Amino acid sequence: MSALALAAQLAGGFLLAPLLPGLVQHWKARLQGRRGPTPLQPYRELRRLWGKSAVDVEGAGVVYRLAPSLAAASTATAVLLVPVAAVAPRLGVGHDLLALLGLLALARFAVSAAAWETSNGFSLMGVSRDLMISVSVETTFVLSIAIAALVSHTTDLTAVVAGTAGTAVWSTPALALGAVAFALVAVAETGRQPIDNPDTHLELTMIHEGPLLEYAGRDLALLQWTAAARHWLVLVLAAQVFLPHTHSVWGQLAVLPFALVTLCGALALVETLTAKVRTLLAPRLLAVGALAALMGIVSWLVQST
Amino acid sequence: MSSALLLTALGVVALGTVGAAARPTFRLGIRTQAVGVALVGVAGAWILVAQTTIGSPFASALDVRFGVDGLSAFFLATLGLVAAPVLLFATRYLEPTRRGRAIAGLLGAFLLTLAEVLCARDPLTFLAGWELMTLLPAAMILVSRSDGAARETVFVYVALTHLAGAGTWIAVLLAAHAGAFGGDAALARGSGLQIGIALAALVGMGTKAGVMPLHSWLPRAHPIAPAPLSALMSGVMIKVAIYGLVRVLVDWLGVLPLGIGVLVLAVGALSAVGGVVYAIFQHDLKRLLAFHSIENIGIILLGLGACLVLRARGADTWAALALAAALLHTLNHAVFKALLFLGAGAFERSVGSLDLDKLGGLLRRMPWTGGAFLVGAMAIAGLPPLNGFASEWLTLQALLHVPAYGGIGDGLAGAVALAALAATAGLAVLCFVKVVGLVLLGPPRRAEVAAATEVPVAMRAASLLLAGACVVLGVAPGLLVGRLAALAPWPAHVATTVGLHLPGTGSLPTPALAAVLAVLTGAFALARGRRAAAPAPTWVCGQLVERPLLWTSAGFTKPLRLVLESVLRPQRDIAVRRSGGLVQEVSYSGRVPQLLDERLYLPAVRLSLAAAAQARRLQTGRLGTYVAYLIALVVVLLAGVKAGVIG
Repeated sequence: MSALALAAQLAGGFLLAPLLPGLVQHWKARLQGRRGPTPLQPYRELRRLWGKSAVDVEGAGVVYRLAPSLAAASTATAVLLVPVAAVAPRLGVGHDLLALLGLLALARFAVSAAAWETSNGFSLMGVSRDLMISVSVETTFVLSIAIAALVSHTTDLTAVVAGTAGTAVWSTPALALGAVAFALVAVAETGRQPIDNPDTHLELTMIHEGPLLEYAGRDLALLQWTAAARHWLVLVLAAQVFLPHTHSVWGQLAVLPFALVTLCGALALVETLTAKVRTLLAPRLLAVGALAALMGIVSWLVQST
Repeated sequence: MSSALLLTALGVVALGTVGAAARPTFRLGIRTQAVGVALVGVAGAWILVAQTTIGSPFASALDVRFGVDGLSAFFLATLGLVAAPVLLFATRYLEPTRRGRAIAGLLGAFLLTLAEVLCARDPLTFLAGWELMTLLPAAMILVSRSDGAARETVFVYVALTHLAGAGTWIAVLLAAHAGAFGGDAALARGSGLQIGIALAALVGMGTKAGVMPLHSWLPRAHPIAPAPLSALMSGVMIKVAIYGLVRVLVDWLGVLPLGIGVLVLAVGALSAVGGVVYAIFQHDLKRLLAFHSIENIGIILLGLGACLVLRARGADTWAALALAAALLHTLNHAVFKALLFLGAGAFERSVGSLDLDKLGGLLRRMPWTGGAFLVGAMAIAGLPPLNGFASEWLTLQALLHVPAYGGIGDGLAGAVALAALAATAGLAVLCFVKVVGLVLLGPPRRAEVAAATEVPVAMRAASLLLAGACVVLGVAPGLLVGRLAALAPWPAHVATTVGLHLPGTGSLPTPALAAVLAVLTGAFALARGRRAAAPAPTWVCGQLVERPLLWTSAGFTKPLRLVLESVLRPQRDIAVRRSGGLVQEVSYSGRVPQLLDERLYLPAVRLSLAAAAQARRLQTGRLGTYVAYLIALVVVLLAGVKAGVIG
């Protein structure tokens, strides 16, 4: 069972991840009355990019060249860290939720530093907004983690998945409020509306796309895989921690694909129904999530004392 | 044995201090100091690991005593680890001029004073060292610079640390009077005396540590000091204030009421978030780093506050782990902040001004110093697998356990502190992306920067040593945590491992994480290959990136400034000069004012000056007036006696 969980984790995180943004794009197009690309479009793009040579920016150095690899490596480490079920084989890197935050920050740092190396104003504009928003994202993320950790008495993800399983934990509003907070985190981390618009071709409105402007070829392929893997990480967390799931590990593994597909549908629906908020108002939106999570913690405290 | 080593080491520092003051033995003297202080560190580490104590224990009597226990030993080890590279840096940074020799001599005296505070075992020695610790940096700043601005800054520094520093005297003398200097069960939990000592210590020692809102001296004094002194002040001196706080709050006062712990959490959260927010809007590298010291002191206090709350709640193991988190972050911050200040000193030596908008591209021109600076920046931003991440992770875990063990009030305080620490980490990443980008990356923004060359080997080696310490402490923090948790004066056992494995919660296998990150980065870089088309210019909609179009510090932080506008009240001025309907020139100036300075300190200063002006009217300078005062006094006293109020 542990081997199956490992297979699902590695295959899902490394191979199936590009399918998730593909699905969102596909359904979004359908919801908007367009035919749109197939869900496999991200794979085609990755194949195309992998066959092309990278282009170095004049005057760029080692930071620019290493950034895609470092961002991909820290996201890949995060994929190794996040289990798909309450049972996971020991890969040596642990399963700690707070470590996940650090790895995501490392990827962000690498890409942001590279933007400075290119001196591209549009990249820097995206980076400065991304970092500003990520302050609120991290705060909300930590508070929703805190709820999951309080409910399950640990930050070890396998135990958190087990601790948030079943129906008993939903008898208090804590986990539900945590889910509200985490939904906003998921939207922000995957770079989707109403926080960011992944379809924009206007450099002035780019957030996550901005720092990718200067990259081409294999560098860009690594960064696009990184973005897809972030979808995987966030949606797996949402499905196995903040959505109701069974105690049975088989059940968790069996339901996961459906949960992921449903969540992709939800992202597509939200992206169709809402417009992007003004960038400067995004922190306010995330603050709503943080306050919801704080309320969740208070409700847990009231119930447990 | 260890006491002999410690005494020898201090003797070597003293010898080096004398040597550094003379011209022929200047560099030899500083090197001797470095060796001596490294030996002090070794002695400290030895005592910490062997879990012994040397010398006499604490006593409330007013006679001179010295001794070292585990907590002192830990801070002595920190002192050695940080000061040895700093002095190595100083061998080349300082010149054997009169000024340089005076500073080198004072540096040695400063180090001895810091060691003296850590080893003091009676109130008198402690307070004497404490005051000297304030005055010696002031002397060094005055020796190194003689302009009016520096004098004014030193005045603010000395005035503020002494005014609020009275808290330290009150705390220490009250404790000594109650016979509790060194800890005694005489203080009942929740008694007025216990709370009074705790609050006085928080004010007095908090000022010295640079805790908001008593921080105002820190961002003024640190930037104008010579680089080795900045590194020691930020790296060690404010840590000695943390030592004082840990001594009083954790070691001596027994179990404090819950409210004190919550207060420490609140002050820590304010310092952490406030420090980093103001750091982001600084445009001078050293000033920015000084604000980051406030931030990190805040993070340390978050750990300390969690320790006090958990102790009051009876969760002893987690209280000890929270203390270990605070102490680990103390050590980590000492290492990477010294590294960053030395890097700033090296850059200043190579290119002159440290205006962030006028640097750029130094990683290529100064690869050793720049590389080490990059490691320090990533460490202070709390990125894995470096040391800042390890201690922030441990602090987050400690804060997470505050709601787990607490009631509603302190649990909520813990959750808010948790959120504050997360926000701080995010803001620190923003700030150091800015610093790394403006200082190390991109094109050079001045001719001097384009022509910058690497600093001498000794200065490079100092940066590299500290960068190495950042990596080692990041990969194997667990080796220390068990020892640090054992420093708590209550029984608590934490297993010693290489990574961080905590009882009953998540674990951070730091060596495995570091290895996996390194291997995967290498693998991806290999897979990416070296194939690249001819380099192309940056694409900015068909426009070339020219120097006037480069992004600035103010531009990069603008989104955050706009978001925080209602809190920070930034001011900006745009002047447009037109002539003949055409814009000839646009000048922009903006600043983010220090609200606490302007809303709290300035009115207080004005009020006291006005009061002094009123009081001066009494001082006419005429003899007759003073005789009249005397007569009036005598009459009042006599009237008092007559009415039976006096005597």
